[in-house]
Amino acid sequence: MFESLSDPVDVLTSFVEGQMQPLRFRWKGRVVRVKNVSGQWVRREGQTLLRYFAVEGPQNDTYELCYDPRGPRWVLSRAWTGGR
Amino acid sequence: MILLVDMDAFFASVEQAHHPHLRGRPVIVCGDPSRRGVVTAASYEARPFGVRAGMPLQEARRLCPQADYVEGSPDKYVALSLQLLELYTTYTPDVEPFSVDEAFVGLGRSYTLESAAGVAREIQAEIDRRFGLPASIGVGPNKLIAKMAAGLEKPRGLTALDAEGFRTAFWPRDIQEMWGVGPKLAMRMRSLGFKTVGDLAHAPEPLLRSAFGIIGPQLRDAAWGHDDTPIIPYHKGVDAKSMGHEVTLPEDCDDSAFLEGTLMRLADQVARRLRTEGYVGRTVTLKLRNRRFETITRQRALAEPTDDRTTIFSQARALWLEHWKGDAVRLIGLSLASLDRRAQGEQEELFDQATRSKRLERALDRVRDKLGEASVVPAGSLTHRQRMGHVTFGAPSRPADRRPPPRGTSSA
Repeated sequence: MFESLSDPVDVLTSFVEGQMQPLRFRWKGRVVRVKNVSGQWVRREGQTLLRYFAVEGPQNDTYELCYDPRGPRWVLSRAWTGGR
Repeated sequence: MILLVDMDAFFASVEQAHHPHLRGRPVIVCGDPSRRGVVTAASYEARPFGVRAGMPLQEARRLCPQADYVEGSPDKYVALSLQLLELYTTYTPDVEPFSVDEAFVGLGRSYTLESAAGVAREIQAEIDRRFGLPASIGVGPNKLIAKMAAGLEKPRGLTALDAEGFRTAFWPRDIQEMWGVGPKLAMRMRSLGFKTVGDLAHAPEPLLRSAFGIIGPQLRDAAWGHDDTPIIPYHKGVDAKSMGHEVTLPEDCDDSAFLEGTLMRLADQVARRLRTEGYVGRTVTLKLRNRRFETITRQRALAEPTDDRTTIFSQARALWLEHWKGDAVRLIGLSLASLDRRAQGEQEELFDQATRSKRLERALDRVRDKLGEASVVPAGSLTHRQRMGHVTFGAPSRPADRRPPPRGTSSA
């Protein structure tokens, strides 16, 4: 089942050739390694451009991370960690 | 030649692409799955169970309890829709969005049916490679044929038809498969003996004109595959005919304070969207649906066109007080029609109450432009907000003049 969240998370991020990419993030005391970025999109909130990433973890778990440049900060907005 | 690119079960496919555990499973995209509402989209795996978009969630759960019910992300779908439009513009600047998941792509007269189908195949593969999404594409000499061809084979279909191919494919088909013929019109046509698209193509024109007015001969023409509607590239923009929002409530509600708060929130959203896109409107329409799914719409014309929240709300509230009989409401909607472009440089009286109100709205717009839609809401709508949060699909779209031009064109 999906959990809708708004959890601030620390994210190890790469910036290569103008592209940012989340590599690992810490959530609930554990480090989740990003196996694959399965989608990206942006949302405008006033003048701020929020960047979203749909990512896959190593255990068939999936997440949606949001980069908010106003912090700058990362927020985990959705998680699926198994169970239906 | 024209292509119609139709994303297959778009919202559900996006969720399947982003969340691999959903792939190959029935997926139903909806509002908050813990609340009640309607199905926004159903994946192809859910459709054999009878689940369709627009169906109440309760019914979908009965038909397909094993499905994954996923809360939709309208912002995500709109963002991806814009990314898809940008992809199409790498092939041609003549791209016209038809809905959030469909777009016409104009390739020009030099293309044959075969070469256009080749481009369609490339676009289909590119969408799959870049987004992991399935699309069906119709190819034809005009918008009508491209649109109808796209529906022939789904998902991941590619159908190219010339006018003759169109007639071969569609003349034996039911009249309701004709683009523009809905269930009610189809019923009337059948009652006159026109059961197939071919019957319509051979119907006597005077009979069609007397039964259906001007649209009768137009549909007959369409049944021959004729259509000369031009593509309107999306960077040029299209004038809207109406703007509105509606919301299905979490539970049937007869609490007048909550319902009025909801109406105020809707009025605020409609007015904000009108101002953002530079329109004023004259006809206010209120829509109410009760627990038995009985829907009424009531409208009233304003003395002058407006984009003012208070004016729209007071008219909507008047309609509401007149037509609400106190029964529990399931859905409430508000829209403004008879739209015109707002005149530039209106004369303002310095101390006039209406002018002060306008200035206040403009100031609030600037706050929202900077900080987002949720930064300021009318206090009277808080009864709505406490229980509902924001009305989904409510954010104003980007005005045509603020969209980026297609690649290969001048921005001047």
